Amino acid sequence: MTTSATILLVDDEPAIQRAVGPLLRSRGYDVTVAGTGAEALRLVAERPPDLIVLDLGLPDLEGTEVCRRVRLGSAVPIVVLSARGAEEDKVQALDLGADDYVTKPFGPEELLARIRVALRRRPSTDAADAGTHTFGTLAIDYDRRRVIRDGEEIRLTPKELELLSLLARNHDRVLTSRAILKAIWGANAVEQPEHLWTLMAQLRKKIEADPANPRFLVSEPWVGYRFVSGSA
Amino acid sequence: MSSDSRVAAAGLVSVGALTWLMASVLHVANPATVSTAFLLVVLVVAAVSTLRAAIVTSVAAVLAFNFFFLPPVGTFDIADSQNWVALGAFLVVSLVASNLSAVARARTAEAVARREEQARLFDLSRDVLVLPDDRDALTALARAVARRFDLEFVAVALPLEAGWDLYQAGAVAIDLDRRELSTALAAAQTTLEFDAAARAYSGQRETTVGDRVVRLVPLRAGTRPIGLLAASGRVLEPGTLDALAGVVAIAIERASLLDERKAAEITKRSEELKTTLLASIGHDLRTPLTAIRVAAANLQDEAFSAADRHEQGELIHAEVERLARLFQNLMDMARIDAGGVAHESRRAFPSEIVAAARDQVDRALSRHRVSVVVEPDLPVRLDPRLTASALARVLENAAQYAPEGTAIEVTAAVTGDGLTIAVRDHGPGIAAEDLPHLFERFYRGSSSRGRASGSGMGLWIARGFLSAQNGRVWVENATDGGARVTMTVPLADEPADTGAGA
Repeated sequence: MTTSATILLVDDEPAIQRAVGPLLRSRGYDVTVAGTGAEALRLVAERPPDLIVLDLGLPDLEGTEVCRRVRLGSAVPIVVLSARGAEEDKVQALDLGADDYVTKPFGPEELLARIRVALRRRPSTDAADAGTHTFGTLAIDYDRRRVIRDGEEIRLTPKELELLSLLARNHDRVLTSRAILKAIWGANAVEQPEHLWTLMAQLRKKIEADPANPRFLVSEPWVGYRFVSGSA
Repeated sequence: MSSDSRVAAAGLVSVGALTWLMASVLHVANPATVSTAFLLVVLVVAAVSTLRAAIVTSVAAVLAFNFFFLPPVGTFDIADSQNWVALGAFLVVSLVASNLSAVARARTAEAVARREEQARLFDLSRDVLVLPDDRDALTALARAVARRFDLEFVAVALPLEAGWDLYQAGAVAIDLDRRELSTALAAAQTTLEFDAAARAYSGQRETTVGDRVVRLVPLRAGTRPIGLLAASGRVLEPGTLDALAGVVAIAIERASLLDERKAAEITKRSEELKTTLLASIGHDLRTPLTAIRVAAANLQDEAFSAADRHEQGELIHAEVERLARLFQNLMDMARIDAGGVAHESRRAFPSEIVAAARDQVDRALSRHRVSVVVEPDLPVRLDPRLTASALARVLENAAQYAPEGTAIEVTAAVTGDGLTIAVRDHGPGIAAEDLPHLFERFYRGSSSRGRASGSGMGLWIARGFLSAQNGRVWVENATDGGARVTMTVPLADEPADTGAGA
């Protein structure tokens, strides 16, 4: 509760403003509200927030367009609010630089968790590239390229390790399939998700106690994958 | 007496007259002159009549030539053998000439007949193009065939799963034997041959119903028989009947294609409506549900002050109201769709109707200044509930699109059209491109798309409630800004028993 991060809430629905604004304030955040995309862009320029909660359905600008314009000059974390069924919009927003999304109708804890994760990934704290990272029973040693589960080393192929490292470094944050394909196989592979499905299945078999009900490597249907650390 | 024998008789009379003229009056003796004159008569007869009449005339001319002009005159004997040659030559020439002339005439007659049939077919094909697109199309088609080909009876027969669909036209009605139709169609299905002499495909049949001969011609789409054309009255060439059946088959194909297209169109429209409905309801449900869910959690949160909790409670209240309104809209929409809006007239004061409408949407109107002028406020007879519900939708719409704090003026008056209520707002008015679509379902103004409020159902429902009472609603931009929606409801007649109702 000692956070005094500033959050810009962008939503044109007064009802959402009236419910989510007080929710965030009660958690100690400093909240500013914008009803339109133009107003949001102006506020971002005038008084850069620590995080933006952005509704994709705005009256003046497409939410994805707001995302793109914010990203032109800022790395501020963006959590997108979107409708179920509008998966393309979500993926587009994520590919344009949004950090995460919550689907309406969402509960308060869901939104708060996403905000906490996104804030933790603020640019200044984004240097956890080296050393060992432990998630419960799972430890990943980035330097020695070793993965240990329940005290036993797990042998991973280079690609499997690459995928695990990518997701674990961005733990609790959704990565779109496109972004993963691009990072691991290169830009030419973004239209071939079957690479990712196969590799993900292999990796789950090695990492997860129950590969059918993954605890760490969780699918976000139609969007991508998320490494769940269990601490968010 | 047929025209044939009349001409033959005329030929005989001409031969006699010519004989008398040349023998008794002109005293012509030269056989060459006489034979040429007779030949002329024979040719004239051949040209206007048949070969038979020409032959009768020729024989008469030969006899007259021999008897009256070739010596010895007065007998059928011929003295000079040269004259035998002259007589023989005359006979041959007249017969050949008659024959040629008759053939030429027959060809001409045939050509004329064919051209006439082509013209009829051409007219029919034009009729086919302007056939109506509905169920009467095939009856109209049969009528066109009967008219164009002067037939007394025409029927288009299409096979059903069991039995036949018949579309008949013509001056007489004939009850076709269904078994005969089935036999004809079955025959057409098994064989398809072209008879070059008759210029027709196989499968034409003749059947007799009572004293009438009916010709049955298969209707073929490509080579597949799709039905039969029955015709009675004038006798038509098999080739003509075939061509006629071709045009009819094309017309039937066209009608069924139009039917299919219409059905596809209807399916598509209902699919589109479903998609729009889901998208619209999806949005209208999602926002209140999210707000209620978050606000309910906030209410349980210790960190919230009493005042904050009160505010969250208010929010939940307002959003539940919004859901209730959405639910009401959906119910009303379903009622209008099902045609289930019954209206029940009774006496009511216009002011009462306006008050009821305001009451339904008082929350939506709470941020506007509403003024009401009802003049004169005399009791009218109509369905006050439907009228008030329609007015509530119009008021809600005005409140949604006019900025907060602006005035909304309601005027009600009884005019020649019935009760007229106008709602005038001081908002931005309506964009020209939106005006024609404003009362369409789920239509939302171009400037308000993506905007929070407004589902595009309200005005459509208002119109539905008004048309259930034969009322109307329309919208216009006021000259000094803002929009004016006007609705009229015709007044019902006073019931005979005036004492009971009101």
